[in-house]
Amino acid sequence: MSKTTALFNLIIKRNISVTTPREGKRNFRKFVIPNKRGSRLHKQNQAGPNPELEIDKRGVRDTGYVLNGRFVKVPEMIPELIVPDLTGCDLKPYVSYKAEDVIQSEFTAQQLFDAVYSRKIVTDFKENKLTEDGEPLEPSDEEKLQPEEAVQRAKRTGSDIF
Amino acid sequence: MRLYNFLCKKVGDLTVKYSNLPESYIKRSYEQVYWKNPKGYPQYPAAQVARKKYRFTTNRPWTMQFARQNERTKLNKKVFLEPVGEWSFFKGDRVEIMVGKDKGKQGIVSQVIQERNWVIVEGLNTHLRVVGKDKEFPGITIQSEAPLLVTTGVKLVDPETLKPTEVEWRYTEEGEKVRVSLSSSRIIPLPKAAEETIDYKSKELYVENPAKDTAAADVTKITFQPKLCTFEMDIMESMGIKEDRVPAKSYWY
Repeated sequence: MSKTTALFNLIIKRNISVTTPREGKRNFRKFVIPNKRGSRLHKQNQAGPNPELEIDKRGVRDTGYVLNGRFVKVPEMIPELIVPDLTGCDLKPYVSYKAEDVIQSEFTAQQLFDAVYSRKIVTDFKENKLTEDGEPLEPSDEEKLQPEEAVQRAKRTGSDIF
Repeated sequence: MRLYNFLCKKVGDLTVKYSNLPESYIKRSYEQVYWKNPKGYPQYPAAQVARKKYRFTTNRPWTMQFARQNERTKLNKKVFLEPVGEWSFFKGDRVEIMVGKDKGKQGIVSQVIQERNWVIVEGLNTHLRVVGKDKEFPGITIQSEAPLLVTTGVKLVDPETLKPTEVEWRYTEEGEKVRVSLSSSRIIPLPKAAEETIDYKSKELYVENPAKDTAAADVTKITFQPKLCTFEMDIMESMGIKEDRVPAKSYWY
C-alpha cells in the first residue's frame, strides 16, 4: 500500500486551471511601497513610531540620529561644499581640440616614497648617520610618522574611507 | 568578443567621431526606455523595457528627424546588414561606382553612414525630387544623391592606376595601419577630409573660444608636487581649515 502511494507521489501531476490564466498567479516578489503609495492605514503606520517597512529616504542621508524619540542634529553630518576661489585659474571647462593628448605614466606609491624620503636616505648614508639595520639616527618628521598617526591625520579631514 | 561588441553597438565609430559627442550622450539621445526597474533594491534585477530596433537612415541618431522616424508606433521591416569587419571607406575617398546608372564613374565620398553600410558619393547616383509642391506653386526640383552600399555598390580607387581595387588593411614597417590595394600593393592614404567633424575641418583649423577652451599650454603644464598627505588634507592646508578632532575608531566588515 505504501509503495503505491510513494509511486503516486512521484508521478508529475498537472492541474487544470479553470480560471483565466492571469488570476491566481500574481507577481508577489517583494513589492516596493514608496512613501506615496499604499493604503491610508499603511501610510499612518509608516508615519507613526513603529513603521512596518523601512522608510524610503530616496538616497538622501540623515544629518543626525534619533535619540529618545527626538532627532538630534549633528552639524558635522551636514555636507559643506568647499569651493576654491577661481581667480587667476587658467583652466577652463573645455579643452581646445588643438591640444595634444597627454599620456602620463601612473604615479605609484614607490614614486611617492622616492620623492619624499630618498633624498634624506642618500645624505644620511653618505654621512654615515644610518644604523646597521638601515634605520636613520636622526629621523625627520616624515620618517618618525607611524601608521596609526598617519591614519588619524587622514581621518581628521572627515573622510571615512581609511 | 570583438564581433559581438561591434554587433551590440548600434551607432558606428565614424558617426561618433564625426559628432564630437560622448558616446553615452548619443546613446541617451536616441534610446527609448519605457520602463526601468528601480535601482537599489536587490529583489529587482537591472531590467528595462526599451526599444531595441531602430531605423537608421541619413538622419543622424541625435536629430529630431531620427526621433520622428523611430517613434513608438512606427515599425519597419528588418534591414539586413552585412557585418563589415574593418571599415575602409572614409569621407573624401575617391571611389568608383559599380552599380546603377552611374556605373563606372568615379567620385568623392561626401558622407559615410556606417549603421547601414552606406556611402554617399558627391553628385553621383542621383535622382530628382520635387520639394514644396503646392496647389499654386509647382515646387523646386532638387537633385539628391542616393546612398550606395559599401560591400557591393562602391569600390576604392587605386591612387595611381585610377582603377577600382579590393583593399586590405596592413601594417607598415613603422607599425602604422594602412590600406593597401590588392591589385598593385600601393598604399591608399587616409584622406584629409576624414578628420572632419561638426566642430572643425581639421584640428589645426579649429578656432578656440577663449572663454571656455583651455589652451594647449595650460593643459600640459604640470603643477603636481608629491606630498605625504591625502587629497582632502592638501585642500584643508591650502584653504586654511584647521581640524584637531579625531573621529572614533570604526570598523569595516
